[in-house]
Amino acid sequence: MDQNPRNQQQKTILDTLGEEIVRIITPVSICMFLVVILVSILQNDSDSTGPSISTIATLAYDENISDTLWDKFKGALLNSLVFVAVVTVVTFFLVLLFYLRCTKFLKYYMGFSSFLVLCFMGGEIAVLLAQDLDFPVDCVTFMFVLVNFSVVGVLAVFMSKFAILVTQGYLVVIGVLVSYWFTLLPEWTTWVLLVAMALYDLAAVLLPVGPLRILVELAISRDEDIPALVYEARPIEPESSGNGGHGVMQRRVWRERRGEDSTSGDGATRALNMGSEMKSDESFHGQPKSIGGSNLGSGSGSSSTQSVVGQRDRSLVDAEEGRAIDPDSELAAPLIQHRINVRMNSHDGPDEAFALEGIGLATSGAIKLGLGDFIFYSVLVGRAAMYDFMAVYACYLAIIAGLGVTLMLLAFYQKALPALPFSVMLGVLFYLFTRLLLEEFVVQCSINLLMF
Amino acid sequence: METPQAHPTPTTTPPAETVITIDSGSPPPNPSTRIRRTQYPTIDGPFGVSEQDSVEYARRFFTFGFLLLPFLWALNCFYFWPVLRHSRYYSHSQPQLRRYVIGSAIGFTVFATVLSTWAFTFAFGGERVIGPVWEDLVMYNVADKWGLSGFI
Repeated sequence: MDQNPRNQQQKTILDTLGEEIVRIITPVSICMFLVVILVSILQNDSDSTGPSISTIATLAYDENISDTLWDKFKGALLNSLVFVAVVTVVTFFLVLLFYLRCTKFLKYYMGFSSFLVLCFMGGEIAVLLAQDLDFPVDCVTFMFVLVNFSVVGVLAVFMSKFAILVTQGYLVVIGVLVSYWFTLLPEWTTWVLLVAMALYDLAAVLLPVGPLRILVELAISRDEDIPALVYEARPIEPESSGNGGHGVMQRRVWRERRGEDSTSGDGATRALNMGSEMKSDESFHGQPKSIGGSNLGSGSGSSSTQSVVGQRDRSLVDAEEGRAIDPDSELAAPLIQHRINVRMNSHDGPDEAFALEGIGLATSGAIKLGLGDFIFYSVLVGRAAMYDFMAVYACYLAIIAGLGVTLMLLAFYQKALPALPFSVMLGVLFYLFTRLLLEEFVVQCSINLLMF
Repeated sequence: METPQAHPTPTTTPPAETVITIDSGSPPPNPSTRIRRTQYPTIDGPFGVSEQDSVEYARRFFTFGFLLLPFLWALNCFYFWPVLRHSRYYSHSQPQLRRYVIGSAIGFTVFATVLSTWAFTFAFGGERVIGPVWEDLVMYNVADKWGLSGFI
């Protein structure tokens, strides 16, 4: 009987790992897909610059079609620097607030931000869609549905116990809306901004002085959730659901480092924490707030037997859990017996704290990805969509490849990792290659009937 | 992986656990044991609210739905879908929960019918049915009038 569990265990690891990766790539793909569709439908036929909006990202320089290449580049650089500076400042401010334990304030702020994004941005995009598609909806129905949608969305990111699918859906929707907004920036600014954010992400997460790293370590040391928007893939269900006394599984978004208990060395469940990227919007008047860097928390590779118990459900700790912590029975303990606490969802806020950009693993092994990552991936693909669909395919593949590499590194280093750098760098590279080299090649081949 | 037989289950089972032979919700059926399958009231299975909290949860959603938020009712039904599916089982064990969920379902159906009737009349009837006020009500005109589609 002892062999059986272990064999089953091994099968489980393989199954669950692939399943988990799919569960994180699916929402990323859906988000990108929706942004591409939105961009394609709402794109101005005239040019790729679209309506010019004055935002914090175009504070230093507003791009004109008539400017020279070098001017555009310089302007874009200036814009990005300003943006990254603002993001850094706001992230540090958020870290300070977190340090002073103003989590209530952060939480309400996030709820408010979510509402703004969903209601106002969502409403505007819906109006634009209705106009473009000549959809005869009346304002009563429209307002009603919009308010309902937004209120439920705020609840979804606020409350801890909520339908997982709905929460995930709303996070994706928020990602789509903010990404669309970003694609409205001038072209050069967008690309340079992406690269700048990737570099910032790298610095903020890995450098010891980076704000996100500080945030993660604070959260770990305090065993708290970071108030931010994080997409958590649905955890793998426990195999031993038949066990009595399981009670309710809690989902914890942050998996702290329960350092020293890793006696069993069960590497199958990697407890990784997420990085956070706090994204804040200053006001819904299109001034993007700062975007925090991404931060991947890292937990120790503690075994699955570490149980993270929330306050409410302490009563549900049953004999099994007690046994699980017992070092003797660790090997026999079920692979996935985690208590995860979904307090994170209750904290995350809308615009402002767009979760952490960052990738990590929750206690249950479910992968977590910050909403900022969703947004920047989708911005990249959306921008590519403004040029051509070939670029979209290339960039999509590049981003997924980058994500795969990041996941591998995550498994390897078991630390908080920034999810932006690889994907964005590969994406930008592929975009440039497609635009400069591939397109020419494919077009010539098609014209000469060599390859379609 | 421990099989349930290895567990001293009955005495330590928290009150949240109910034991029946059908498995609903998301936990995958465990073929190796027929002894205990837990029935979760939520669609999330082991990750949803516990049974004790679910009554409170459903009640809150039900009452807040009356603030012109039928979407909350829909969400209630979605979240507690197993309750609707196995309503006979729940009418014995958790009649209150079932009442709230069914109330939400009824409320949402009524509301959806009313709203969609109005929306379809507006969309397909158009000016013929509603009259000249159609132009004033349609969203894109309203948006133009108030400049709502200038981007934020």
